[in-house]
Amino acid sequence: MRRTIVSVLSIFLAVQCFASEVTFPVPGYDAEELQKVRLWEKSWNNKKITAENVDQVKDFVHEGVYTAIKDPGIFGAKEIWFEVVPYRPYTLSKGFIEATKKYAPTSHLDEKEMLEGYGEVAGIPFPQPKTGIEMAWNFDSNTRGDSHHEIQFGTVVDCKSGFERTSEQHRWELYWVGRYDVSPVPAIEKSKNPRGIARSFFQRMAAPADFIDTTILEIKYLDPHRGEDLWVYTAMFRRIRRYANNQRTDSIDGTDMIYDDQDGWYTHLIHNTYDYKGRADLLAARHQDSGKLEKAEGQGFWNGFQRERVNHWVVEVKNKDKNYIYSRQIWYLDPETWQMNFKVMYNRQGQLWKMYEMAYDELPSYGGQTTPIFNSEHIIDFLRRHGSTSVRNIQSVGTDIPLTQFRTKSLKEKSY
Amino acid sequence: MKKTINIFSTILLVLIVSGISVIDCEAAFHLFDNKLRVKGSIYEFMMYRTKVKDDEKQYRDTDWGLMRTKGTLEFLYKAVEKENLQVNLFSFLQYWHEALPDFDDEYHDSITRDNRKRFQGPSYDQDDWINEMYADIYSGKWNIRLGKQIVFWSEVEMVRTIDRINPLDLRYTTPGIEPWDEMKIGLWMMRGFYNSDLPGQLVFEWIWIPGDYEGVRTPREGSSMGAVPGPQGKEDLRPRAFGLGAAVNEQWRKSQPAFTLSNSQFAFRIRGNSEVALLGDYYLLDWTVSWYHGMNNTPVAKSSKIETINQYNFNLAIARVFGGDIPRVPGGLWEYKFFDVIGTSCQTYVPKLGAVVRGEVSYEIGLPELKADPDSSVAPYMRNITGTTERDVINVGVTLDKPLKSNWLSQRWGASGVFDCTFGWFGQRRQGNVSRIRRTFAYDDRDQSNFTLTVRTRLKHNSIWPTVRFLYNTRNWGYGVFAVRYTPGKHMRYEMGYLWFFSNNQWHFREAYARNKDSIYFRIGYEF
Repeated sequence: MRRTIVSVLSIFLAVQCFASEVTFPVPGYDAEELQKVRLWEKSWNNKKITAENVDQVKDFVHEGVYTAIKDPGIFGAKEIWFEVVPYRPYTLSKGFIEATKKYAPTSHLDEKEMLEGYGEVAGIPFPQPKTGIEMAWNFDSNTRGDSHHEIQFGTVVDCKSGFERTSEQHRWELYWVGRYDVSPVPAIEKSKNPRGIARSFFQRMAAPADFIDTTILEIKYLDPHRGEDLWVYTAMFRRIRRYANNQRTDSIDGTDMIYDDQDGWYTHLIHNTYDYKGRADLLAARHQDSGKLEKAEGQGFWNGFQRERVNHWVVEVKNKDKNYIYSRQIWYLDPETWQMNFKVMYNRQGQLWKMYEMAYDELPSYGGQTTPIFNSEHIIDFLRRHGSTSVRNIQSVGTDIPLTQFRTKSLKEKSY
Repeated sequence: MKKTINIFSTILLVLIVSGISVIDCEAAFHLFDNKLRVKGSIYEFMMYRTKVKDDEKQYRDTDWGLMRTKGTLEFLYKAVEKENLQVNLFSFLQYWHEALPDFDDEYHDSITRDNRKRFQGPSYDQDDWINEMYADIYSGKWNIRLGKQIVFWSEVEMVRTIDRINPLDLRYTTPGIEPWDEMKIGLWMMRGFYNSDLPGQLVFEWIWIPGDYEGVRTPREGSSMGAVPGPQGKEDLRPRAFGLGAAVNEQWRKSQPAFTLSNSQFAFRIRGNSEVALLGDYYLLDWTVSWYHGMNNTPVAKSSKIETINQYNFNLAIARVFGGDIPRVPGGLWEYKFFDVIGTSCQTYVPKLGAVVRGEVSYEIGLPELKADPDSSVAPYMRNITGTTERDVINVGVTLDKPLKSNWLSQRWGASGVFDCTFGWFGQRRQGNVSRIRRTFAYDDRDQSNFTLTVRTRLKHNSIWPTVRFLYNTRNWGYGVFAVRYTPGKHMRYEMGYLWFFSNNQWHFREAYARNKDSIYFRIGYEF
């Protein structure tokens, strides 16, 4: 008996010791690096970066952004510019920090590279990652406040002809597991989630006119081998249609984004391999005032991104399906929240094809705290000279969304 | 007609005046602090016939088949927005004018005056300009919809099996060209839903149509999609409207059931969403089970009036062939009878096929039919009616939606690179003796078997939508539609297509009858 107690105590203490080694939040820069960043910022803070001066900051600008600024005509613009703002660490929610400190010490991957206990844990599993797959799991574990409701205003732009098509949609998104802010944490009770849903979104269109009330419901499951279920209620045909989940590489409503691209990577991690490529200190929009964004008609790239220095984790991602639409992707992950600030995609011939940039801001969320969530984005197609921009008017973050909203019956309710 | 135009003018005036407070006009107007949403469209739809035969040319000055201008307005008003009670008032109003008879004199004279009036605008019934108008009430798990509505119960495309509530208006074109919600005829009804917490997320739905009856509106005789007036009379009497087709339509119209409670129709449906694990894969089934008790959308002869009908039709044919006055159409010759339909449907994604499979089955119980003498030497559609009977009919529809991906195409012309392909099979089996059944189309057929194919893709970032639809019946008739839709911006919509019909025997089915109706069509519209 005594031996058992000693063994249990030893394990408990060992876990506690290990737990104490978890550092979270992790600052984007250590003190020495931050000093250098601040020094650099003294020269560039609040400066407008245009084709004239972009070469001076080229080391901190991704090739895709550099190309757009130097040759704005490609994206239907006379001038493409952004503003440099000082680096600001995020203030993470109490729940995010506590969940990470609670679960990270015991996090590890099984032989199939699945996170053990997935669905019953929360927070960032590997605050000090060593491999690409650990970084990918960190990215996957950011639930952005557990739920949010936003109104998206999107524009699909043919940069050659200047033609634009606009759309507007209301979107509600809910994480059923990996929750750290909104009760219940870390997961919705199994009795209320018998199908093992990991994440779901419900989206209703408000424009264009012929698609008003068209509504989408997508459900992602915990089981990594189970594809997402997607239903679309098409108001024009008044039918709820089930969609094949192998349509995930289809473009979304004519934008340059495919279903898998949503939020950076929407589906299961198991479909890809992940190779850590090092760090990249690049400018990214982490505190974006979406009111400062602007673009001319026919322009497929936002002007007015407020970029700050971030020392990204860089991961090369290759799909296990050899026929996948992208030969590879490069993810640029934020060192503090593991959100994806941007990614670039290469076609099957190895050419740089697309770039997807998300601009974040810290917005009020659960319990008067703040959560970084992206409020605008653009995805550009370098080969076809096309772009898609959107602004997201965030209505709420970290609030209770009724689970019943994510049922197929809800698709037709209040849609006409 | 004037009344309808006045109502539309008033609505437009209100919109213009209240436009001061318009918040957003990208897609729809939002007025009165976002409580009222207004959207609408105006479309010009033109068809040019490419294969008009000589016997039809004498009834036409031109080869144009349709020139319809149609405007729609949708209003959604959020009347009550409380936590436990929401009431939305919705209406979908429509107005159209088919202009072809206005400038094609021969065409004008081929359609009877009454039919022409009903054909040219929304005046078949006095409430035709209202496509839908209902109060949508939500309280807890209950949802009640009261008013004129259109119900969609089908999972499959192109052919209807369980989707029987609203009849279709087929006078202008065929399904697949116009949206279903504009081809279906709204009915005044009470519709309720109860969203249960039972396993399978069961939703119970019921419908009560308290006597509002509409028959199917088939292409009018003399119109482009209809038959030429027949039998043909002397040449100097052509065109002469009011053939047998128009006479039968008029007889049916005069026999239409009254709007009374005793003519109530009912329907009930359970909708569920169940998960099944099979051979290592999960199948999430969206399923329904339904029952419908309603009137058939075509009538049968009253037993006591069979002789009158036969005699009238004979007299009319004589008058047309040899000249003479068209006899006056008597009323009350036909009766619309009730029958029942039990149906079920299911759709699911099948991982091993990488496709969505949808299926539905309906069993029609006691479908009213006409009888005729099977030994008569006259073609079955011409035979004298000898009585009425009932038959059971089984309808089955299965479709498979399979997206085919082309990585090559996805990097060109702004293409999605995905071909959304739908393969379908639809079967029908008529129970009992069919040789004694008198039908205009498919008179001796026990079985029907249709194969369908739809292929859609998108180019130029969803601004160009090429679509091909094809239906083949094993009796060697069918039709194809080749269409391209162009949506360059927020409001303007363009569509062009070709309708191709074929059949070796035009009496095999209603669509087979359209074998010479091949047309190029154009549709130009503005959506707001």
